[in-house]
Amino acid sequence: MRLRRRDLHALAGAYALDALDDAERDRFERHLRRCKACENEVRGFAATAAALGRAAAAEPPPALKERVLAAATVTRQLPPVTATPRWRRAAPGSRAARRGTSRTFWTMPKIATGIAAVALAAVVALAVITIGTNNSLNTERARNQAIAAVLAAPDAQIVSGPTTEGGTATVVASHLAGKIVFTSSGLRVLPSSQVYELWFLRPGKARAAGLVPPAGVTGSTAPVLASGLETGDSVGVTVEPAGGTTAPTTTPIVVLAVQA
Amino acid sequence: MCAARSEQEPAERADAALDTLLTHVAKGDQGAFEALYDQLAASVYGVIRKVLRNPSQAEEVAQEVLLEVWRTASRFDPARGSAATWMLTIAHRRAIDRVRTEEAAAAREQRTAQVPTATDEVAESVEASMDAERLRRCLAGLTELQRESITLAYYGGYSYAQVAALLDTALGTIKTRIRDGLTRLRACLGVS
Repeated sequence: MRLRRRDLHALAGAYALDALDDAERDRFERHLRRCKACENEVRGFAATAAALGRAAAAEPPPALKERVLAAATVTRQLPPVTATPRWRRAAPGSRAARRGTSRTFWTMPKIATGIAAVALAAVVALAVITIGTNNSLNTERARNQAIAAVLAAPDAQIVSGPTTEGGTATVVASHLAGKIVFTSSGLRVLPSSQVYELWFLRPGKARAAGLVPPAGVTGSTAPVLASGLETGDSVGVTVEPAGGTTAPTTTPIVVLAVQA
Repeated sequence: MCAARSEQEPAERADAALDTLLTHVAKGDQGAFEALYDQLAASVYGVIRKVLRNPSQAEEVAQEVLLEVWRTASRFDPARGSAATWMLTIAHRRAIDRVRTEEAAAAREQRTAQVPTATDEVAESVEASMDAERLRRCLAGLTELQRESITLAYYGGYSYAQVAALLDTALGTIKTRIRDGLTRLRACLGVS
C-alpha cells in the first residue's frame, strides 16, 4: 500500500531517529529529495537526535584512539564532490539515484568503506590489539611501531587474495622498508600439530618468513612482521608441521604477488 | 531560563570549532583528526554502546564510524548541520544497521524482555553535564508517550513499528508522537 504524501511527511521524526525499516527509509529519502520543508524539519530533528546522543557519552577504551589514528594514517580519504552537490545530481528514479550515488547529509550508503581500507584497518586494529599479550609491553610497543612503519611507508602496497583453506590472506609490503606485514581472516583452523608458515617466494627459491599465529576468536590472525623482502618476491603461505620448516613441504594455499 | 540562554553561546562556539576541525580533517590533517577524536569520540562511542549494549561490539562499530569520518570528511557540508550532528548521525545509523542486520528474532525477544521503562534508563545514564541536564529538563516537558516513543526508538534502537507494539499503541499514533515530541524537544533545546 502506498503512503500518501501527508503520511510520508509524518515519518520525518521516525526517520531522524533511524526508526524506519529499510523500505520506508528508502521511500522517505526519495521524498526528501523533493521536499524542502521535510529537509528543514529533518535537519532540526537530526540536531535534536544528536543532543540525545551526546547525552549518552561514555569514555571509550583508550586503545580505540590508537587504533583509529593508526588506521587513519593508512586510509585514503574521499575527494570532495565537485559536481552539483545537491541530491538532484542524479535525476530521481535514474539508475544513479537508485544505486544511491546521490547522497545527502543524512542519507549514506550502508557500507561506505572500500575493501582495501577495511583490510588495512583490520591489519592496524590487530596490530594494536596484540599489545600486552605475552611479551613485555616495551617489546610489543616496538613491534607495533615497526608494523605501523611498514603500513605508513610511502610505497606501502596491499595485496589480498582468497586461500585454498578458505578466508582471505592480506599482505602490506614496502620495498623501502624491505618488510611485509601479513594478516588473514577466516582460514581453516589447524590442529595443534600444524601451522601456517609464511614464505618469500621466487622461482626456485623459498625463504622462511615466519609462522602465522593461531587465529583469535574473530577468526583473524594477529599481524606477522617479516623482514627480508626483495624485489621480485611473492609472499606465500603453506601448511607445515608445528614449529615450521626451513623449506615448504606442501603446495601454497595462497601466493600473493608483490609489485616490484 | 536566562542561564540556559547564556550557556548556549559557548556551546555554539564549540560547535563551530568542531566544524572547523572537520574541514581541516578533510584536507588530511591528522592533528585535527586527533583533536576531533578527543572532542567527540566519547559521544560516538557512548551512543553506539547505548544502542548495542555490548561494549566490544560498540568499540568495533565506533572504530568503523570514526574511520568513516576520516574517509568522508570532505563530504561534510556545514550548511546542512554541525560536525557533531553529522558524526552522531553516522554513529547512530551504523549502530542501528548493526542491530537490524544482526538481531535474530529470538535475540530481539530477549532484548525486549530486558528493556525496562526507557525513561528511567536515560535518567540514569545521562551524565551530570550542563547539556545533559538541559536535555533531562526538556525530556521531562514531553508527554509520557512522546518521551517513551523517542527514547525507545533512539536509545533502544527499535523501529517505530516495534515501539508501537511495545507500548501497545497504534502505529499512526507513535509516528505522530515521535514527530511532535521531537518538535517540542528541538524548541526546548534551542536547536536551530
